[in-house]
Amino acid sequence: MAAEHAAAVAADALETEPLLVGKQDNTTLTNNLLAHVWARPDKGWLLSFLIALSGSGALVLAITVTLVEGIGAWGNNIPVGWAFDITNFVWWIGIGHAGTLISAILFLFQQRWRTAINRFSEAMTIFAVMCAGLFPLLHTGRPWFAYFMFPYPSTLNMWPQFKSPLIWDVFAVSTYFTVSVLFWYLGLIPDLASLRDASKSTLQRKIYGIFALGWRGSGRHWHNYKVGYLLLAGLSTPLVVSVHTIVSFDFAVSLIPGWHTTIFPPYFVAGAVFSGFAMVMSWMVPARHFLGLKHVITMRHLENMNKIILATGMLVSYGYLMEHFIAWYSGNQFEWFVFFNRATGPYRGVYYLMLFCNVLTPQIFWFKKARTSIPVMFIASILVNIGMWCERFVIIVTSLHRDFLPAAWDMYYPTWVDITLFLGTIGFFSTCFLLFLKFIPAVAVSEVKELNEELQHRPAPVTVVTGA
Amino acid sequence: MEHAAEHAAPVGKTYVLGRFGSGEALVDACYKVREKGFEAIDTHSPYPLHGGDEALGLSRSYVPRIALTGGLTGMFGGYLMMVYMNGLNWPLNVGGRPPHAPPSFIPITFETTVLLASLSIFFGLLTLMRLPQPYHAVFESEQFRSAVNDGFWLSMALPPGSDGKDASALLSQLGAKEISTVREALE
Repeated sequence: MAAEHAAAVAADALETEPLLVGKQDNTTLTNNLLAHVWARPDKGWLLSFLIALSGSGALVLAITVTLVEGIGAWGNNIPVGWAFDITNFVWWIGIGHAGTLISAILFLFQQRWRTAINRFSEAMTIFAVMCAGLFPLLHTGRPWFAYFMFPYPSTLNMWPQFKSPLIWDVFAVSTYFTVSVLFWYLGLIPDLASLRDASKSTLQRKIYGIFALGWRGSGRHWHNYKVGYLLLAGLSTPLVVSVHTIVSFDFAVSLIPGWHTTIFPPYFVAGAVFSGFAMVMSWMVPARHFLGLKHVITMRHLENMNKIILATGMLVSYGYLMEHFIAWYSGNQFEWFVFFNRATGPYRGVYYLMLFCNVLTPQIFWFKKARTSIPVMFIASILVNIGMWCERFVIIVTSLHRDFLPAAWDMYYPTWVDITLFLGTIGFFSTCFLLFLKFIPAVAVSEVKELNEELQHRPAPVTVVTGA
Repeated sequence: MEHAAEHAAPVGKTYVLGRFGSGEALVDACYKVREKGFEAIDTHSPYPLHGGDEALGLSRSYVPRIALTGGLTGMFGGYLMMVYMNGLNWPLNVGGRPPHAPPSFIPITFETTVLLASLSIFFGLLTLMRLPQPYHAVFESEQFRSAVNDGFWLSMALPPGSDGKDASALLSQLGAKEISTVREALE
């Protein structure tokens, strides 16, 4: 055992798991990364798509009921004015953040392992933000007047109230969505051109040709493109931090005990990245298997992601610790009561589930065996997703349901509409994602080719010093 | 735009395309072609070439300046918009905050900065690259379609009517594996 270990260390002193498995060149990469787009959808895909599509159908039904009956169809009441809706909103927005983190922040830090997974997670960002936006929109009660929130010169002489965090949210989320779409599409253009010119039928060539905008890999284009892409990454990085900070302001700027905390912005951002990486993991594990992408999305990628889940999980746990400590240390009886009530009140089950999923589960990733085990990481990622949903529920509902006057206390129970809306967005997200996996390369082909070139031509230790 | 009232039917530009075996070979060829005095050339590759910008003799990109302009517009535009709407046009007292409340205006100012900067990068890029461009002569060559997948192509734009013989000879002398001459189709 010890000798074996020593041998492994000697052989692998600096070498880690490869980022690309096997000897690849541009031709093989074109063929095997685009293969799943040309292949006919198999039974597994069709079945998943059918299930996802029925989820989307359920979403339409729940939205219809909400619009017809009003938000009285939900379980919200006074004092619990925010419940599933805002919980789901924050959860989905948080999930989106991993995409931006992977595509922008890791790009700026020149983390090569980002290359194979950025396209995938950026797509996730876009679909997650779409799901997220739906909830506050419906929660306005009259979504057909939602345009009131935008500053347009109206004959009503009515401007948005810019001192409200809820209006900040409108700007943050719509900006985030727009920038994510631009960033994603910009990265996609070379690959759409690749699809256009590798396509076998005229129809495919036409359709991909329209979206490729006439890209011809021109050196004069790349020259500007590289700069533009880098700048967009640079802008997305503070943007992603600002978005979840502003989401946390929805709570922190209010005066509700349990919400009015200065730790909220960093704590929410860490939680967002934590849940987002977990969601990427939950999708990537099956996708790399079924799309035949194991040679580009290797164990190294998965292990690195697990390390980030561990790190952000620790940040989130620290957030919990600090929140509780300050509640006690402040000596404010209402603040302390909220935290006491979370652990002992009627919603304590959700609270303990949250602690189990978010604090305990990621600890398993201290062990390399667990970090590199597919079943372990898949189950852990699902648990983290559940845990992070519970966290938002705990923050929102338990802070509201027992307010300052015991006479006003009430319980919140979701109705079937609440639950269908939530499950429906999961269905909608999955529908979009499965379509994405079918029609667009799940891996940024042109970037992987560039990475392959770099890996082949420049032996690692020398380039680190002289390369950049 | 020239008047099309010439004697002969208008002729499109001629493009001579040559495929090279690798990115490095393409970059080398690029330098040599420019030494011979051809400046209207371009490289076509599946990913940005190492040293490709220098080989084409490109000057610094305009994109950062476009982004800065967009960002500044978003920043001042966003802030002044809020000052005008909530401070001047319809002063509104919410929670005792002054009508012009700088701290409350910071988040949206940041968002509009990023939004306008990003939009100007994206649309600025498309403008600089002249995309979307539904037709380009290089696509007349079917072999050229490897340029976005696994081929490294050099294209030389020659004046209308030229037969491209010199250019083809030069490319084959530089070691191009495949050479084709195409003519821009006009309406």
